[in-house]
Amino acid sequence: MKNQIIVSLVAVSAAFITGCGTDAHYVETGGNRNVVSVGQINIQDYIQAANTMTGELLASGALDRVKNPPAILAISRIVNNTGNQIDTDLLVKKIRVALLQSGKVLTTTTFGLGNAEDPLAKQMQQTTRPADFSLSGKIIQLNAGAGDTRQATYSFQLSLTDTQGLAVWEGEKEITKQGTRGGIGF
Amino acid sequence: MAAALVAAGCHNSMNSVQNAQQVGQRTMISDQRVISDTGLARKVGVVGLNTVTTPGGFLKVQVELLNQTRSLQTFNYRFEWFDQNGMQISAPAGAAIAGELDGGESKFISAVAPTEAAKDFRLKLILGK
Repeated sequence: MKNQIIVSLVAVSAAFITGCGTDAHYVETGGNRNVVSVGQINIQDYIQAANTMTGELLASGALDRVKNPPAILAISRIVNNTGNQIDTDLLVKKIRVALLQSGKVLTTTTFGLGNAEDPLAKQMQQTTRPADFSLSGKIIQLNAGAGDTRQATYSFQLSLTDTQGLAVWEGEKEITKQGTRGGIGF
Repeated sequence: MAAALVAAGCHNSMNSVQNAQQVGQRTMISDQRVISDTGLARKVGVVGLNTVTTPGGFLKVQVELLNQTRSLQTFNYRFEWFDQNGMQISAPAGAAIAGELDGGESKFISAVAPTEAAKDFRLKLILGK
């Protein structure tokens, strides 16, 4: 009798686990069906922020004001002022790709804050052209709540500085998300 | 009185102030470059569309949307870009941008092309969740 009960429990558990199998499937990155998390920055947020600020930067014409186009851009510090540990390259790389595609900018990978992004390229480098601009910024998280509703605003801030230390362009993109207490990460 | 307070707190339509002498009523325009899903098309329409080339040579598009209903409408939008031959430009992954319009509200959305090669565009509007 005891064995029958155990066998029955095992069979029921197996059926339960099988029935609860995950329905994994692909979704378009940055699309409407991406998960929206209030407590963290999602991939679609990085994409939106990068696209918006890149468009504003290109439209400003700041990158055109160099003696020898295309402009040379060095990447400086992007400060993470959110409550999560994030890799700021999720934002910066998208901006760099877009700027490179625009034809207005070349990014240096052998000069920047800290070590060279590409140490081998730095060793291979035969000539050095100084950077015309540096890109720096900050990502800030601002939380708010009312009743069961929790809200987080992520502010993406960028500055483009020339060789005289002057900010020739500044951009900011804010993304706000709301959710109820049960669906958030904080 | 309680009902009045509740109604005030739940009010989500917008009143706009503009010139008394209007040139004409806002009319929806139909542009094949704007694609809207059927659910949204009945509620949010395009009343204006402008393009300009920035000093840097990039195509910039500005679209004015109007919520024809009396309630809040949420939507997502995305721009796609094409060169002079009609070939889509492989821009870095673009995310659908969320937008919202209160009842009767109009709003401008805009975007700048990713390269100077972009000569045409398409705007996709999708009803929000």
